[in-house]
Amino acid sequence: MNISGSSFWLLAVVAIPVFGSFLIPLAGLAARKTDKHLALLLGAFTFFAASMVLLSVARGEAVSWHLSLPLAFDLQLDADYLSAFMGVVSSSISAIIIYYSQGYITAQRGHTEYYSIVTLFLGAMMGLVYSMNLIWMFVFWEITAICSWRLVGYYRGEKELQKANKTFLVTVFGALCLLLGIISIYAANGTVDLRHLKGETIPDFAVLMLLLGIFSKSATLPFSTWLPDAGVAPSPVTALLHAAVLVKIGVYAFARIFCATVQLDPVWSTFVLFIAGMSALVSGGAALIETDIKRIIAYSTISQIGFIFLGLAAMNRIGVAGALLYILMHGVAKAGLFLCAGIIEHKAHTKDITKMGGLFTAMPVTAVSFGLCAFSVMGIPPFGGFFSKFMVFRGAASFGHPGIVVLFLIGAVLTLVYLLRVFYAVFLGPQRPLAVTAGARAHEAPVQMVASVALLGTLSLLLGIFVYYPSHYLEVLCSQIGIILP
Amino acid sequence: MNPLLLPIFLPLIAAPLIPALSPRIPKFRELTGIFISIAVFIASVSLFRETAAYTVPWAGFGFDFTLRIYPFAAFILCAVSGFAVLVSLYSSVFMQSKPNADWYWFSFLITLGFANGVALSDNLVLLLFFWEGLLVTLYLFLALARENTECKATAMKALIINGVADVLLMVGIGITGCLAKTMSMSSIAVAPLQISGWGLAGFLFMALGAMAKAGAIPFHTWIPDAATDAQLPFMAYLPAALEKVLGIYLLSRVCLDLYSLNGSPAMKIILMTIGAVTILVAVMMALVQSEYKRLLSYHAISQVGYMILGIGTGVPAGIAGGVLHMINHAVYKSCLFLTGGSVEHRTGTTKLAELGGLAASMPVTAICFVIAAASISGIPPFNGYFSKELIYKGALDTGYTVFFIAAELGSLLTLASFLKLGHSVYFGKKPEAAPEVKEAPWQMLLPMGVLAGICVVFGFGAKLPITLLIEPSLAGTLSSLPEHLYGFHFDKLFLLVFAVIAAALLNHWFGVRSGGSPQKASEHIHHAPVLGTAYTLAKARVFDPYDQGMTLTFFLGRGLYVLDRVFDFLIDTLPTAITEYGALLVSKFHTGFYGYYLAWIMAGFILLALLVSYTGALP
Repeated sequence: MNISGSSFWLLAVVAIPVFGSFLIPLAGLAARKTDKHLALLLGAFTFFAASMVLLSVARGEAVSWHLSLPLAFDLQLDADYLSAFMGVVSSSISAIIIYYSQGYITAQRGHTEYYSIVTLFLGAMMGLVYSMNLIWMFVFWEITAICSWRLVGYYRGEKELQKANKTFLVTVFGALCLLLGIISIYAANGTVDLRHLKGETIPDFAVLMLLLGIFSKSATLPFSTWLPDAGVAPSPVTALLHAAVLVKIGVYAFARIFCATVQLDPVWSTFVLFIAGMSALVSGGAALIETDIKRIIAYSTISQIGFIFLGLAAMNRIGVAGALLYILMHGVAKAGLFLCAGIIEHKAHTKDITKMGGLFTAMPVTAVSFGLCAFSVMGIPPFGGFFSKFMVFRGAASFGHPGIVVLFLIGAVLTLVYLLRVFYAVFLGPQRPLAVTAGARAHEAPVQMVASVALLGTLSLLLGIFVYYPSHYLEVLCSQIGIILP
Repeated sequence: MNPLLLPIFLPLIAAPLIPALSPRIPKFRELTGIFISIAVFIASVSLFRETAAYTVPWAGFGFDFTLRIYPFAAFILCAVSGFAVLVSLYSSVFMQSKPNADWYWFSFLITLGFANGVALSDNLVLLLFFWEGLLVTLYLFLALARENTECKATAMKALIINGVADVLLMVGIGITGCLAKTMSMSSIAVAPLQISGWGLAGFLFMALGAMAKAGAIPFHTWIPDAATDAQLPFMAYLPAALEKVLGIYLLSRVCLDLYSLNGSPAMKIILMTIGAVTILVAVMMALVQSEYKRLLSYHAISQVGYMILGIGTGVPAGIAGGVLHMINHAVYKSCLFLTGGSVEHRTGTTKLAELGGLAASMPVTAICFVIAAASISGIPPFNGYFSKELIYKGALDTGYTVFFIAAELGSLLTLASFLKLGHSVYFGKKPEAAPEVKEAPWQMLLPMGVLAGICVVFGFGAKLPITLLIEPSLAGTLSSLPEHLYGFHFDKLFLLVFAVIAAALLNHWFGVRSGGSPQKASEHIHHAPVLGTAYTLAKARVFDPYDQGMTLTFFLGRGLYVLDRVFDFLIDTLPTAITEYGALLVSKFHTGFYGYYLAWIMAGFILLALLVSYTGALP
């Protein structure tokens, strides 16, 4: 194996967290707090390595690493504009969430396992992002599923375990469909290496199976309800898995396979757009009715993923760029919202928004961070979410299907309403009699937690003000990856 | 630094300094607010005769940071920053001891920068960026206005209403950009788009977004609530001035530059209908209000109807009248709100029942009020008459006399409600409980005086605003501007004014006589047979599109929630039940007796043998 400088970083960004995660239990045995410090170190390193990969890609270097294995099982890691972007987005948000966990998890039992699994998850995510072989994509895909199963059931109660099983079973059902799809691609095209599939067409059966896998992982109708149920997990887990990183696996796979590699028939695009539109609408409506703050935000994630699909399936440059920008903006903002929900839950000892109110004075930093992130998700300038939302709508206009535009228009309005409703009920509205005792005790959380949400809130704003950099990158990306993008 | 950037970035850079430094430096926020506004005004005026553009790459994909100044934009820019100067001066006294004043001034400057951004943007995405960005400061202004929860609820209402409108605008801009293959307004203006097919959707969404900003029905109901909950300078600054200016600016650009309204008679009728309905509904509501600011806020809605009606005619005179009315309205309505603020500042109340006879103790405020009230009621020689006259002419030119009648009726009712307001507050008898007051401080009188002065200067034939502002603004887009847009025309329209005045006076006299006091001058209309029921329903918010819309949204939400549960049943409960039942069924076969298992094997063999013999081979 001959490893050049940039390829070293590519290998490291996957291998270090994957293998490092197995060292965390040992570190935990050695001394009590070493586990969390090691996890933070691994998280920060992964982000750093992903950034190095991105810089190499942006310099125009070919970054890849290859391990020959029998049959079609070659491990092929490639960094192109798309994977480097996704790698940096996922690892940066993950690193912030691990930092937040330092204040959230330590006091509780099983923290060594927690940090170990989170790091393994991060490594698997990196592997999935850079894999150019569908089989390896599937392997990493399943590792993330197992990690999420352990993490959702972290508190080990009856209900938590049941919901963890649901999460696992739904996503694994999808993954098995994905596997069938991969097999049928192998049967039809003779390869599962994405580099060799470029510009090819794949059988309709394979498309359907891949889409089922993608929809289940990205919590899209009809597989969406595992996501709000998984809200029983600790808040950093919900933020990591269900807002910022795990649920983006499906959309990433869609972008990787259908936008960057194979030809997709416009009929399928329309199909995906309607599913995504219904998904955005149904979960937007559910978010309006729910009273559990974490379930509301989880429904909001489902709804926003619909918007990401809107951009991707519109199959034009502006839509795809908007969708990728959406992954970034939504990841940052939604992680912030979940982490804020964690602080509120931690301090007010309830998740029911009808029992909260007037928390602004008790926790101003959290409230402002929540507001900043919420504005970004609503798509209000100067926050980052504005650009991504506008670009996917612009892409949808180019696709030219009025029904879809109307579906998402209502979806966007619902987003506005349910987020404002939460913000008002939690922070500004009148103090409820039930919450007086909780409210009196509520105050700002440990510094790691508050700093994390403040950072994410600020990032939401800065990404909007300095939108030139990500969008310029994505403009190049679209001309690099596109095989069919007009 | 390019001079075009100054009006936008100067306030944006200064704004964060206020919450940072104000607690340490006394008077910092007031002085910063005033000086930045003045600096921006000077910068804007110096750009008045310029035609220039400035471009830097921005969000990619043709979304460039393109600013362009030309006469119309320069006019808007000067108007925006001019109002900022006056309102900042006024606020320096009014907001001194109000809660969250630091954040008021922060929002004030951010709003100024963003509003200037809207005026200067040539790229539609940039325009949308600044336009929607105003939502944030709108929310801040309202949510932080007082220390109660009512204003938070109003802030939410305002943000939802305007947010919905801005989502429409966003989609409209997306469609427009897609049709035109460019986001540059000046490029689209070379060959405006047709209003048909997708163009119809694009036009409608953009026009709705623009009209909503201006406060037209059905996007208006947050304004009266804000009048109650917000601090007064906010009302003079945003709903009275900036939002009208920006909304009508965009509407006229949509109708003239981006789309060719004249190619679509149906759209013209829709616009004129929205205008006429807005005029009448809002003025009817204004008539029965018993609170100074709330009464004015309904007029702020009603007057938008004239502007939309004017632009909707598609006739040059009507369009010129609509734009002229926009600036006239901003001037007199700001002035009226400021007089309300002076009264509130000195007496501590704005309820008509607790006020009276203030003309003696606050003469300057009273004079400003009278001038502005005469302007809004369309009484010559003040400015409001001349813009309304153009709109009447435009409406008559279209041949739909019904819109003309609606506009005249609106004028009559406007005058009636201002007779009631003025009579109650300034000229009626002073209530015994009311305290002795003195005139407002000069920082408050000066802005009012300037605005009242503009009402006069822009009146008397209205030559100045037409030649200075309106003709250059519209010269590029309207092929032929009619002559004699200004000047007194002693025709039937002029005579009609006297009929309107007489009718309003008669109505007022009758109202005061039957009601017993000037505050009750509209009671005979308030309790008229059919109208009384309508008013009762309106008071119960039956006609509030926001309340109805929210009810509908939650209804929809509940339906979607049920749908979500159905999907949950399909992927969770149902498969679980089937699996459990299947497992139970299969377990029944596992009895543990050797004989049973042998029998199953035999049965399998037989089945296989049959299959092979039937198909002739193994499948």
